[in-house]
Amino acid sequence: MRAGSCGSLLRWLAKRSYGCAQQRDTVFAVSSGHGKCGVAVIRTSGPASATALRRLTGRDELPRPRAVALRRIRDPGSAEPLDRGLVVWFPGPHSFTGEDCAELHVHGGPAVVSGVLQALGRLPGLRPAEPGEFTKRAFQNGKLDLTEAEGLGDLIHAETEAQRRQALRQMEGELGQLYQRWSQELTQALAYIEAFIDFSEDDNVEEDVLTRVDTAVAQLDRELRGHLQDGRRGERLRGGVHVVIAGPPNAGKSSLLNLLCQRPAAIVSPVPGTTRDVVETTLNVGGYPVVLSDTAGLRDARDPVEQEGVSRARDRLQQADLVLAVLDAAELAPQPGRLAGALQAVLPPSPPPRPCLLVLNKADLLAEQSRGALQQACAGDTLPPACLLSCMTREGTATLLRLLGGQLQHICGDPLVGSPSLTQTRHRLHLTSCLDALGRYHRGRAGDLVLAAEELRLARRHLGRITGQVGAEDILDIVFRDFCIGK
Amino acid sequence: MSPPRLLSLRLPPPWSRRAGSDAAARYDVVVIGGGHAGTEAAAAAARGGARTLLVTHKIDTIGQMSCNPSFGGIGKGHLMREVDALDGLCARLCDRSGVHYKMLNRRKGPAVWGLRAQVDRKLYKENMQKEILNTPFLTVHEGSVEDLLLKEPESEHPGKCQVSGVLLGDGSKVHAGSVILTTGTFLRGMVLIGLEKHPAGRLGDQSSTGLAQTLEKLGFAVGRLKTGTPPRLAKDTIDFSILARQWADSHPVPFSFLSETVWIKPEDQLSCYLTYTNPKVEKIIHDNLYLNNHVKETTKGPRYCPSLESKVLRFPNRIHQLWLEPEGLDSNIIYPQGMSMTLPPELQEQVITCIQGLEKAKMVQPGYGVQYDFLDPRQLTASLESRLVQRLFFAGQINGTTGYEEAAAQGIIAGINACLRVCGKPPFTISRTEGYIGVLIDDLTTLGTSEPYRMFTSRVEFRAFLRPDNADSRLTPRGFEETGCVSRQRYERTSQIKAAIEEGVAVLKSLQLPPSKWSSLIPEIVISSSRSSPVRAFDILQYPEVNMELLARIFPESLGKLAEWRELAERLKIEVVYKLCTSNQQQEMEEVRRDEALRLPENLDYFTINASLSQEMREKLDSNRPQTIGAVSRIPGITPAAILNLLRFVKTNRQRTGGIKVPFRTGRSLPERNTDVLGKSEFQSSNLSRAF
Repeated sequence: MRAGSCGSLLRWLAKRSYGCAQQRDTVFAVSSGHGKCGVAVIRTSGPASATALRRLTGRDELPRPRAVALRRIRDPGSAEPLDRGLVVWFPGPHSFTGEDCAELHVHGGPAVVSGVLQALGRLPGLRPAEPGEFTKRAFQNGKLDLTEAEGLGDLIHAETEAQRRQALRQMEGELGQLYQRWSQELTQALAYIEAFIDFSEDDNVEEDVLTRVDTAVAQLDRELRGHLQDGRRGERLRGGVHVVIAGPPNAGKSSLLNLLCQRPAAIVSPVPGTTRDVVETTLNVGGYPVVLSDTAGLRDARDPVEQEGVSRARDRLQQADLVLAVLDAAELAPQPGRLAGALQAVLPPSPPPRPCLLVLNKADLLAEQSRGALQQACAGDTLPPACLLSCMTREGTATLLRLLGGQLQHICGDPLVGSPSLTQTRHRLHLTSCLDALGRYHRGRAGDLVLAAEELRLARRHLGRITGQVGAEDILDIVFRDFCIGK
Repeated sequence: MSPPRLLSLRLPPPWSRRAGSDAAARYDVVVIGGGHAGTEAAAAAARGGARTLLVTHKIDTIGQMSCNPSFGGIGKGHLMREVDALDGLCARLCDRSGVHYKMLNRRKGPAVWGLRAQVDRKLYKENMQKEILNTPFLTVHEGSVEDLLLKEPESEHPGKCQVSGVLLGDGSKVHAGSVILTTGTFLRGMVLIGLEKHPAGRLGDQSSTGLAQTLEKLGFAVGRLKTGTPPRLAKDTIDFSILARQWADSHPVPFSFLSETVWIKPEDQLSCYLTYTNPKVEKIIHDNLYLNNHVKETTKGPRYCPSLESKVLRFPNRIHQLWLEPEGLDSNIIYPQGMSMTLPPELQEQVITCIQGLEKAKMVQPGYGVQYDFLDPRQLTASLESRLVQRLFFAGQINGTTGYEEAAAQGIIAGINACLRVCGKPPFTISRTEGYIGVLIDDLTTLGTSEPYRMFTSRVEFRAFLRPDNADSRLTPRGFEETGCVSRQRYERTSQIKAAIEEGVAVLKSLQLPPSKWSSLIPEIVISSSRSSPVRAFDILQYPEVNMELLARIFPESLGKLAEWRELAERLKIEVVYKLCTSNQQQEMEEVRRDEALRLPENLDYFTINASLSQEMREKLDSNRPQTIGAVSRIPGITPAAILNLLRFVKTNRQRTGGIKVPFRTGRSLPERNTDVLGKSEFQSSNLSRAF
């Protein structure tokens, strides 16, 4: 371990620059910027970058260094296609961090980004970067010179602040409380096992302390496992933000779809009940990738084909990230009070509450005073953001696109402000690692107690990446609170 | 390579053992205080060749154990081993003075075995005094130190002045190259019994006020701590027959790596006895709290060494354990551990007689509390030198620790570094990744402490790697090569066993058999026979049922010799069991070491530097004064952005001024310890101008 000769010195220097190649973790993160253009840059740094690139592109040979190449990107585990994008390979030391780096330029929607991040996280030797870690590695390898470092600190500050806020937002509400409870229980279990190790039989710390630890750990194991399994159902489908156009028959849904796509993707006819299937199209709205679905008009259909269409519509609504609720303005105008009721009939049953935009179509058929009355009714804050539109005359299109863009931005999460996908991925990975460590604790329990305790420490550290770390003093506080120890 | 000796060109050879005070006296290192820290410090400095003076109020108190007549325990025993690995004294002397040796935590695994011994107070003191008074280059002076002598600071180091010697109580001056303060609980020490208090560092010993005032005037941040000790009982007045007896180990394990066995025959060891408190005891304490100043006042005491009164207050309606420990082979005193009290003496006697077995016990000395000044250890560097006053070192309880072992660990580091400082050599520091001593000093100097700090294994991140069995291979080579305070004999022994372990591991890895063969040879183990590839003896040794002896029977030619060397066999087994865990932790340790290698200049004025840091960050950095980036990241509340901005600042300035002078930088061949990674990059900087 101690270098004493010239050869070891050189090896040490080399190791310093490359960051101890054989042993170091490879980290990945979403790079900032580019969200508006619909492209997210995901980068990796570390010795496993080459493998990651190979596995994700499904090809053995790497692209030429520092040259951009177009590749299909797949999930290595399921071979499911994730995206087609540009990749760049930077073998160290000529890279941002001095280590081997890879970049994946993918469509910036949360689903694609999330998919790629999950796939990366499942590869051995890779993990999400901690805030500022890329820059730290660049520093450690002497890569950042003065001009590049300017403003970096502020950028890092913004990123970590935003991640902190993001993390805080995620911590509020049920999920946050759940994580906190787990933290407390795991900390206490850890404190009890530390008490058992640091204080002997002579100190009045009894054998049954370990039983309590085992019970707590088993309970935590069950809960974590259940949570992680449930989590899969909530993941977004691949490809973009799922926006579903829903509404009563003949409200103008297909017209809206055509308007947004600026080409006639759906057949528009004045007879209600035309769209039998769910018509889906991907498009770009304000820089965000969107999968737009037009659904059958929701009504009690007699026609079995139509019934099938309606039921598919309801299913699709359940999976929607955003609902464009289209109502016939002309029909509602005489009784604006019915607005809320009409909307409720269209929307999927909550929970979870879904982002929604209310589109009052056929505004060209409205008289002046009716228009005013409707707008009044929309102004109440029990209703989602609304706009008046006419697919025919195109009146209100700008407002609609603005509102839609706003909602999309909100859902995607501005990458500059911290990627929720990354936070989500990171959380998942940490929870999974925590669970793994708890499993190893259980299996190692019959053997060396210190080794078993190490697994609990590791579990706590992984959970701590989500909820905050505890130090030795926090552990000792619990020990002395719960045990009367003392000579 | 023989350890370097300091050559003193002008002065004659060392004086007689008990030097009288002489105005022209000059020493390389002066140690103030002859307690557990002071003795280790003085001995270490002297081993390194520094002409050392130890000043103590009473020569007869050198080696005195003020409280518990025992050494070691969980975590503490490990510290002793590390002190021993650096050629320290306490481990060796305990091997020659113990009366009851016991290995704690036997069933919890070798990483946390805690060797502990009841030690004969008188014998330990005798052994220590003999050792100290016969150490070459070490002189002992009986007297007090009233003040420090100061002079202009050296320009390349931080600090507003430099210590140049001490002023003794009799008015004479002693000039010194460096000074180590190990005054324990003596700085403005106050003994409290009941409502009475009187100044003393320990019952019967005067406190130090002159020095305390000096430190305050110099601007050191000082706090106040308290501790306590139980009454002492007369052994022949106790009824042991009704109490549970605890026997010592039948095969005592020595503390020191160099001891073959302990001095006492296993069957001659003394026993300890167990008794309990009861509701009557609680009642007396509750009824008389108004008479108990010590417990009432706000100064912080150790949570893990609480007085009986605080135990009763915090955990009422329970019975508490009390251990009756012998003080020595021919001593009539029993030390009741767990019963430290500060009630007035008469009430203490009442409490005692309520306890089973102690109904007729006579109190020989009352229990009492001590309150004392301590120095905020964040004012020290990792070598325990103060930042304020150059060449002034602090070690022991004065830094806010509790325990003889914690004091000894600091003492040896301070002694080594005082010696190196005078020689103009770089400091010797132990990192958190290298030893419990490293964790102790890093915790103290980075985080400070608000209550007396005691070592626990739970404080140690790398507990599976830092074990009592491998303390020698971790610390002895470094101690020998870098400090000159470790003997060649110890170094050679350590090198020998280290090489043997490596060879043993290689042999174990080379011996392979198919799983089915292993199963038939060792039926007790469960091997998955679905695996067809051969399994190494190395992996088999991990099974709890397997040891080297067993393996040697299977492979007598390869392993026979190894298994005969019992210590090696045991250590091989332990290495193998922890191998996987420690290799997993290597990466983490590397990260920590990487962070520690990024040193911050000592004299940074955090408030004025042109770096993008918030006021709050600047305040934290200023009050903690971290020495490395690693230390910065451990300060609570420091953000990653602040760390990076600090790094950027340091790098910017380095390039502008051609290098910030980092203290103690001399030509060293070992780059890992002091090198600043923020030096010139060998590679071209990336021409990709990307924002992160």
